[in-house]
Amino acid sequence: MPDIIAKSDGQKIAEAEVDDFRRELGPFVVAAETTRMAMVFTDAKESDNPIIFANNAFLDLTGYTREEVLGQSFNFLMARGTDPDSLARIDAAFAGTTGGSEISYRRKDGSVFWSAVLISPVRDESGVIVQHFASFVDLTDHKREQAQSRMLIDELNHRVKNTLATVQSIVWQALRNASDVNVIRDSIEPRLFALSRSHDLLTRESWEGAGLLDLVNAALEPFGIGNGRSEHFVITGRNIRVSPKVTLALGIAFHELATNAVKYGAFSNKTGSVLISWTIEPSPEGDWLHLRWQEKDGPSVTYPSRKGFGSRVIERGLAHELEGTVDLDYRSEGIVCTINFPASNGARDG
Amino acid sequence: MLILIMIEDMLADLGCAAVTSAATVNQAIALIESQNFDVAMLDMNLNGEMTYLVADALATHGVPFAFSTGYSSDDIRDGYRDRPVLKKPFMDKELAEVFTHLLRRAALL
Repeated sequence: MPDIIAKSDGQKIAEAEVDDFRRELGPFVVAAETTRMAMVFTDAKESDNPIIFANNAFLDLTGYTREEVLGQSFNFLMARGTDPDSLARIDAAFAGTTGGSEISYRRKDGSVFWSAVLISPVRDESGVIVQHFASFVDLTDHKREQAQSRMLIDELNHRVKNTLATVQSIVWQALRNASDVNVIRDSIEPRLFALSRSHDLLTRESWEGAGLLDLVNAALEPFGIGNGRSEHFVITGRNIRVSPKVTLALGIAFHELATNAVKYGAFSNKTGSVLISWTIEPSPEGDWLHLRWQEKDGPSVTYPSRKGFGSRVIERGLAHELEGTVDLDYRSEGIVCTINFPASNGARDG
Repeated sequence: MLILIMIEDMLADLGCAAVTSAATVNQAIALIESQNFDVAMLDMNLNGEMTYLVADALATHGVPFAFSTGYSSDDIRDGYRDRPVLKKPFMDKELAEVFTHLLRRAALL
């Protein structure tokens, strides 16, 4: 806190001049006193531009009392942590070379605020600058919005980069496992659309998460869950909220399971069906989500001679991503995939 | 998670016999303390958490490593600025170059 300085003669004269203003320019002084824009007048006759008038808005903004402010140098608000650059910009504004600047100030309680400072000279009849008039526009909200928007752009960039890497891995796998153009396209396109559906789902909820039931319905939409084959799906589970990360991971996993079912499993004949169910259960380490994909009445299942991309994604990728366990059981009566992961990693009720 | 499978494939193509992955800082540190690794690749950010604790553990155990990141503005902390950084998405060629460099340097020490 700055010391209260005994009023110099100059300060007394300057205050008398403000009193004169008050008498002569009544309505304008009242306006300066009552406006919500923070304002001060400074004495131009002294080198450090002492403050000779401060309105209530200025006192509210800075947390000082009028007695603590009057007589102080204009720069007293920057007493701690003043950078030479800010001081130079204030000097330039007083000299009239610039109209003002954006400055970081400290309140009496030490908290920092950003302000646009606008400084204008006040001249007497002969044109001599006798005072300066400074107004302060609080930029704290503006600066906070700027920082937030910077953060959103960084986050968007991060997601785009991750999505591009995901697309790269889809293309990489397709080119690695096939040379026929049609096979390559059939490997790439449905996965890109699966990714796109998960993005749609998350965008609808501002990327805060998605409902598990909505997620299952979106992932299985191309496989006829909404029309055509709806009788082949039995889904039991509440629309539990899961995180964006879990949404993306499960979206791909359900797509891979369903694609496999079309090729070899319960969606490859007329009678087959799949039961998808989930529950949340308490454990010593907190709540776990237990999810189960169970096929039946499809062709008899045999253990694959070679594991494809889809099963690696589910068994290794999904378990890693969810920090849980995933088991893909090739039972002859139908594939059973069990997925268990800590609910704190992205699932919660509601 | 598709990215993980791709990186595993890239590393297998380069001749890595075994690839282990960790999804969290704690998992990573537990692995570093219980197994010997020839080389490591560390995402700078796991689940929104910066991974310098893992970098410290790798440095303590003398495991050469490179960072990977999807953020363009990640500032690397003092002491780690000389580590190679792979920016996602990266090509298998870049991965090969970085790992070759790391292993060659480790062999010279």
